Amino acid sequence: MKKDVIDLNKDLFVLEEELLFPANTQVAVYVSMDVGTFFALDSVTVKIDNKQVKNYLYTAREADALLKGGVQQIYLGNLKVGKHELVAFFTGKGPVERDYRRGATINFDKGVGAKYLELKISDKVAKHQPEFLIKDWE
Amino acid sequence: MLRPIALGGLLLALPLATGWAKNQKPDPDGLPPHDVKDLHYGDVLFYFYQDDYFDAITRLLAAQQLERLPHTEGEAELLLGGLYLSLGEHVEAGKIFEALLAGKASEAVRNKAWFYLGKVWYQRGYLEESERALRQVSDKIQPRISAERYMLLAQLKLREGKYDEAIAALQSWHGAPDWTAYAQFNLGVALVRKDRLPEAIHYLDRVGRMETRDEELLSLRDKANLALGFAYLQSQRPAEARPILERVRLEGPFSSMALLGVGWADSALGEFKRALVPWLALRKRNLLDAAVQESYLTVPYAYNQLGAPGQAAEYYSAAIDSFDAEFKRIDESIEEIRGGNLLDRLLKDDKKDTLTWYWQLKTLPDAPESRYLYQLLASNEFQEGLKNYRELKFMSRNIDDWREDVAAFDNMLDTRQHAYNEEVPKADAVMSATDLAALTRKRVDFESRINAIEKSNDVAALGTPDEQRTWGRIKRIDDFVQMHPDDPDLAEMRDKVRLIKGVMYWRLSESFKARLWNERRSVKELEASLIETQKGAVQVEQARAGVPTNTGAFADRVGATRARMDDLQARLAALTDKQAHYLQDLAIEELGRQRQRIETYQVQARFELAAIYDKTANKPAAKPPAAPPPNDTPPADKPNGKKKWWWPW
Repeated sequence: MKKDVIDLNKDLFVLEEELLFPANTQVAVYVSMDVGTFFALDSVTVKIDNKQVKNYLYTAREADALLKGGVQQIYLGNLKVGKHELVAFFTGKGPVERDYRRGATINFDKGVGAKYLELKISDKVAKHQPEFLIKDWE
Repeated sequence: MLRPIALGGLLLALPLATGWAKNQKPDPDGLPPHDVKDLHYGDVLFYFYQDDYFDAITRLLAAQQLERLPHTEGEAELLLGGLYLSLGEHVEAGKIFEALLAGKASEAVRNKAWFYLGKVWYQRGYLEESERALRQVSDKIQPRISAERYMLLAQLKLREGKYDEAIAALQSWHGAPDWTAYAQFNLGVALVRKDRLPEAIHYLDRVGRMETRDEELLSLRDKANLALGFAYLQSQRPAEARPILERVRLEGPFSSMALLGVGWADSALGEFKRALVPWLALRKRNLLDAAVQESYLTVPYAYNQLGAPGQAAEYYSAAIDSFDAEFKRIDESIEEIRGGNLLDRLLKDDKKDTLTWYWQLKTLPDAPESRYLYQLLASNEFQEGLKNYRELKFMSRNIDDWREDVAAFDNMLDTRQHAYNEEVPKADAVMSATDLAALTRKRVDFESRINAIEKSNDVAALGTPDEQRTWGRIKRIDDFVQMHPDDPDLAEMRDKVRLIKGVMYWRLSESFKARLWNERRSVKELEASLIETQKGAVQVEQARAGVPTNTGAFADRVGATRARMDDLQARLAALTDKQAHYLQDLAIEELGRQRQRIETYQVQARFELAAIYDKTANKPAAKPPAAPPPNDTPPADKPNGKKKWWWPW
């Protein structure tokens, strides 16, 4: 019985995505964290083509899930085929509990398939600083 | 004189002390942080690590269907099995683990699959199968899983009543410090059950003395002290029992039992006055607690032993009155539960948006029957039933939520169809007015012309209109001069024309390359624009042809899910109703048991009171009425007999 409900939920989930975000226009942005010694995440803001599409504040539980290896889909939307620019701003606590705000930018081509971008927060051990990168998953 | 009440029922009411509640969560330790191999698997983990299992399983199944987990297939299957397990879908979980083992999974995945399969069997009560699966797990596995595996194996033996094997398994077990405490406790209990108290003392005493601030471990420490204290009492060693029982925290859930035990230890040492101290303290507590109920009899018993029959009689009378009042309250609560309000009240303040593995009711509603539910909620059976009920309600709400979305999907599809109907004529008009083939031909002609200009080095061809006009005039004058080569009047003009022509040609030649490059760039831009236009035309054509099909296919899917929602909602409603009745029956049964136990106490109180009156009047005591003891209560002691201590674990 529960399995039937879960299957239905999955089918509706897929239907919703295919209906609202078809692959030829779909763009999904994810946030991941690796280690997190030098940075405690508070919020992420995402701008695409100079338009803010997401501003997300993290709960301690969500930040913890990211640290354990979870990856958050922060934004799912539609874009036309062609060239676009994504800018992400990360705010939180940096080394020695200092307020920290950094940005990262990527120019990407939206083709006919779904586009996945990963906002990666990792530790730059040599500099004792966090590092913010954007990876384009081809 | 009759000694009051056997303790067995009280001890049996204690929740079993195992490390299981702590250890049952299956997977985060098995899935440590790692590089992101598949974004969608990470997305599943994001919800999983927040204990939001319903979202996690939905996203996992969706990702599998859409083939988005090419690098994490095995891990995803393991997690899926674990998630089904968490929702009580043991059969489905078992199928997944067995399929993983039948396939070509890596050793790490196979180890975890055997481990979780072992857990599935264990939870379903198939102990032999569970042991077989757990023994397939090699030692090349993460320490935490390995520790849990050994713990499970030992627990299996305890459940099978094979205490010696359990002892052997636990003695060789080395786990994390907090787990060690559970293992030592279990070992101590197993040893007591085998009447090996001297060995048990070592383990239970160690747990009973541990330093910790963790509430779960503090509770375990109390249980260990309680277990050891009562083991001493059982072995007629009250002097040793007392200090152990005094270690139990006064504010903890086991303090009532401990106070009762301390009183019994004093009583066994003939220190009745001293025994009154914990018993009187206990008597002020909530009568619902079985230990408190017993104190209503132990207090007058101690007074009687101290030669104060008057006070004893007063306390026995008060006990009889209190028990009467309690009967009334229990009966009212039973009626209340029959009215069907219990579950809604229990779940009124529940956070409803997630399904988690460990859901447990933490707070009780402010209702008359609540005071009785503490006992009921201590039972695993009720908690599991309530969790199940909550899950069914959650799923029903989930389907209701989707209904609103599905209605929006319908609107969206209608809007799309409407827009299509409006846009198609416009698109057709634009398409028919645009001759892409002619445009392409023009572009080819243009390029050919550029090529010819370059080949013939026709520098004037790329000049500005003014330059071309000037060049034309010069050419015409030059032609005229050329036609009259011998005319002396034209000699000066001939020189001028030659000069002007030379200057003009030089100018045109100088800018020819740049102009040629610009023209070629224009050709390329034109070509790119034409390609884009052609693509657009193809897309328009495809959309024109595809939209009706797509919209229709989506509409069919929406229709199909709506039918499934109706069916599932009906089945959920029936099942929820059935589950509600089951839980109500459990609650009423529990209240019935409490009523029966109090009845037994009341019978004994009446008998003791009668005995005091008889003694006072110098008459022989009457035999007590033969009240059948409740199922979980051992028979009352015979007069002057030794106290029988029943062991709950």
